[in-house]
Amino acid sequence: MLRLSLEKTLNRLIDTCDIDIETLEGKKINLQLTELDIALAFVFTNSRIFVIKSNEVSNFDVTIKLNKDAFLSLIGGTSLDELLDNEEVVIIGNVKVAKKLSEMLAMSSQDIEEAIAHYTGDIVAHQIGKGIRLAKDKLDSSKANPIEAIKDEISTILIAPSRSHFFGNKAP
Amino acid sequence: MTKTTHFGYKEVDVNDKQGLVREVFDSVATNYDLMNDVLSMGAHRLWKRYTIASSNVKKGDCVLDIAGGTGDLALKFRGKVGNSGQVILTDINGAMLEEGRKSLIDNGVFDIGFVQANAELLPFKDKSFDCVSIAFGLRNITDKKAAIRQMFRVLKKGGCLLILEFSKVENEMLEKFYDYYSFNVMPKLGGLFANDEQSYQYLAESIRKHPNQEDLKAMVIGAGFDLCEYQNLSGGIVALHKAVKA
Repeated sequence: MLRLSLEKTLNRLIDTCDIDIETLEGKKINLQLTELDIALAFVFTNSRIFVIKSNEVSNFDVTIKLNKDAFLSLIGGTSLDELLDNEEVVIIGNVKVAKKLSEMLAMSSQDIEEAIAHYTGDIVAHQIGKGIRLAKDKLDSSKANPIEAIKDEISTILIAPSRSHFFGNKAP
Repeated sequence: MTKTTHFGYKEVDVNDKQGLVREVFDSVATNYDLMNDVLSMGAHRLWKRYTIASSNVKKGDCVLDIAGGTGDLALKFRGKVGNSGQVILTDINGAMLEEGRKSLIDNGVFDIGFVQANAELLPFKDKSFDCVSIAFGLRNITDKKAAIRQMFRVLKKGGCLLILEFSKVENEMLEKFYDYYSFNVMPKLGGLFANDEQSYQYLAESIRKHPNQEDLKAMVIGAGFDLCEYQNLSGGIVALHKAVKA
């Protein structure tokens, strides 16, 4: 469910903000969040991003390794250069490609924070507000058809409740 | 020597399976949606909704829905691709295609293409589609590997394949319940609601003969896809395989 949330968030960002990802076409990025045991592959193809389990993908253009705090700083707007200077991130491969992804992650920080909240064990206030924010985000993203957005969320809860936002996602 | 394949638990001549499957779907076509709701207790709608959510389809895309039956998945894809995109629904069975056409017209949708076609020999150009889906159809195809190779062929580079199909239940307790339900309850419900116990006996048997999650994944990779992962739904009663032609 985490992967699906990220995939939808980033593709929505590309469409709504008209982000040019042409230079990333065919690129594969491996993002490893140490401590959280999350390893994700971002595959750019056909003018969109697929987010897949890292172990299903090979021949990455770049691997980014960072811990929970550095990841939260990154999506909070701290530049990759600054994290590199502070040795809070390890990049193996094409740094330009890594920067492009990090910029996109920062642009959708609120959605991503939401998606990984159950992994990061974020602050209590965040947990209290997340149900409300989640519903609001879903409605915002589907203004044309809010009923569909609500149905989507209910479907997720009924199909795989353990992986839903509301019951605490345990599997990437 | 005659080559055989399975039709449920029966071994049949490989040339006969397609006709036998057609007889099953000719028989169930008119009650197909009703029976799906009854047998899955409505869960098939949730599985399909999850499939659409996973499709990564966007406005302007071309989508091919194979074995699309009564068109419920095609209808949802139509909403995703918008007026600038295109959805084509195929089914080998004329009766199912006719039910699909009626259902979509009832929903006010007139711009989905209908093609009666065998999935093993898709009548489309190479690299035509952004997404190809098949929901609860693959297990009925005689040569699954050939069909998946065709799906690979018609997908564009970066295109996404979605296979939603019954699979192997993960939990032992759930499996026991599911076996009892499949072989003792489902055929009876088929008899009661659709006056056709035999076809639903075939349904239960064909599910057990279908490759499990890992075997199907290997088949998809073997057809040329670079990436394939699956997600078990409802404890593995159903699995969604998602593959990308990267």
